[in-house]
Amino acid sequence: MIYGLFFILSVTIFQRQPIFAEDAGKLLPTAIKEIRPASTAVSLEKWVKSANEHHGKLSVAGMQHSQGGHTYYPGATMIDMKSYNRILDYKPDERLITVQSGVTWEQIQRKINPDGLALRVTQSQAIFTVGGSLSANIHGRDIRFGSIYNTVQSLRLLTPTGQIIVVSRTKNPEWLPNVIGGYSLYGIILDVTLKLTSDELYQIETKEMSAEKYPAYFAEQVLRDDAVRMHMARISVAPDTFFNEMYVINYRLAENQLLLDKHRELHHERIIALPKALLGFSRYSEKGKELFWQIQKDYMLNKGGDYITRNNVMRSESEFMEYEQAGRTEVLSELFIPVSKFTVFVRDLKAILRKEQFNLLNITIRYVEKDEQATLSYAKEDMFALVLLINQGTGQHEIMETREVVQKMIDAALVHGGSYYLPYYPYASKEQLRKAYPNIDEFFKQKQTIDPNEVFVNLFYKEYK
Amino acid sequence: MDYHRFLRAQSIMISAGSVVFPFYLLFIRNVGESFSQFGWAYGLFTLMSACSFPFIGRMADAVGERNLLLLYTWGMALVMLLIPIAGGIWAIYAIQILMGFLGAVQKTAEKSALSRQAYEKRHTDIGKSIGHYHLWTSVWSAAAIIVTGYLIDFLTIGSIFYLASFMYAYAGITLAGRAKQLAD
Repeated sequence: MIYGLFFILSVTIFQRQPIFAEDAGKLLPTAIKEIRPASTAVSLEKWVKSANEHHGKLSVAGMQHSQGGHTYYPGATMIDMKSYNRILDYKPDERLITVQSGVTWEQIQRKINPDGLALRVTQSQAIFTVGGSLSANIHGRDIRFGSIYNTVQSLRLLTPTGQIIVVSRTKNPEWLPNVIGGYSLYGIILDVTLKLTSDELYQIETKEMSAEKYPAYFAEQVLRDDAVRMHMARISVAPDTFFNEMYVINYRLAENQLLLDKHRELHHERIIALPKALLGFSRYSEKGKELFWQIQKDYMLNKGGDYITRNNVMRSESEFMEYEQAGRTEVLSELFIPVSKFTVFVRDLKAILRKEQFNLLNITIRYVEKDEQATLSYAKEDMFALVLLINQGTGQHEIMETREVVQKMIDAALVHGGSYYLPYYPYASKEQLRKAYPNIDEFFKQKQTIDPNEVFVNLFYKEYK
Repeated sequence: MDYHRFLRAQSIMISAGSVVFPFYLLFIRNVGESFSQFGWAYGLFTLMSACSFPFIGRMADAVGERNLLLLYTWGMALVMLLIPIAGGIWAIYAIQILMGFLGAVQKTAEKSALSRQAYEKRHTDIGKSIGHYHLWTSVWSAAAIIVTGYLIDFLTIGSIFYLASFMYAYAGITLAGRAKQLAD
């Protein structure tokens, strides 16, 4: 019958349809072969061995908040680690926790918070997976524990040839610098043992200042004062105070830690109508940007004196930033600049951006201590990290426009001995990558030695190798 | 008029609609990029229905409800085959327009069949018979929605649409069977 013919036709076409993968940047939708949820180390081992035998390609995904296709590759199988999410071992007395790599920070927090323990280094939000965070060598508001690299006691790695090995500072130590910050090109992190610390009660300290005063303030009032444990700052992108006005937030150890119990409960996302609406206005107009900056600043300055636990500082809200608009997206770009060069760099950025039609919504500033353990380290010295939230169109023309501006900003950072962060859209040129990450060629060369069949791939590798 | 067969066919098609509806919403949501596109998709559906009602109303009087319902069931059976392979917002708009037309066919046929039945049999208890009709179609629809909640763990979104396509085709066969019986 006619219906039967149509049915067969439909199923045939349906089976041939590609699956598209896309990350938080939404600029690189890519047809992939399939998505496979990870379940056991044994099955993962089997997939990797089979990929080696049959010229298969694999990519590894967590929450996919990287924005440059680091989690997928055309025609490759994407291994979804979100389902590989059990807490394997927890030793509160030794302050150690062993988790499968698909576990989120939020899951760990829920487990350890009742025992008065907290994470050492994470992002400002707790929504990310541990494996993804290690692969991107993330950093956050903590200013005392150094890099996330230091918080890893050991991990088990499924290598590109399908061996499961333990990696630590004593066992197979040569793998660690390439796995952390290696965007899963050196295999799959199966499970990780992380060092924890005490949960602490902080009192929020806020201050408004001009951008010129910030580096000296940071050195004297923040870094030198051991009681300040965590820190962040924002610089204005509103027209009237563009790159001049700033406010800082310090998390200072509260004098009375007995109050911790009262504040221990983990925060949840609250009603987000107001910040969402304000951020919405700021996307569309200069007036909106002015309003957003004023209200956000006043709100934050008002929080001075409030108490908050370490765990809660590490799980701030993110839902209000979710953005859905046809043909537009919001991407991040992050620049690192040596502490001593901050003022001159900000002046350069201001000059670049004043000339451009560039919808910049927010800049958050944090501190990263010098740490060159990872092969692709970005902290060649003590740096400020400036995270830029950019609203842009998804068309080729708009991507080109943003590329031009971002490349100018990266150049400005490189001139002053700075760098940029790799997990975002690949706006940087190959030359810029090599300047910012002098070890990159060594990283790719070693990858080809340990992964001769190029089983583990992603768009970052495709773009820059 | 074979009311029971009409009721059975209607129950099957309404159940089929209930099975796919939540997944259809998800599907449009995935294809569309924004709420404005979502709004357009549903707006086109309703607008198409509105435009076709007068024409379909006259058709109901000319060719009878059974033929309209046959058009609806087989039309929907084919549309369900299109959904899994539709890519891009324009395909969704086209499907919404088709479904808007077919939806108008179903609504008109259902109502005119019910009122014709009441008219022919000179029912005095019209409300009661409409209540009975809605009771059974709703019961089947509820059952379908609940069962689908469990099915979705085992079926892919694609298979749900194919399943619905079969259900519409089966409803069509049920209706066609009635004609034969009446011819006898």
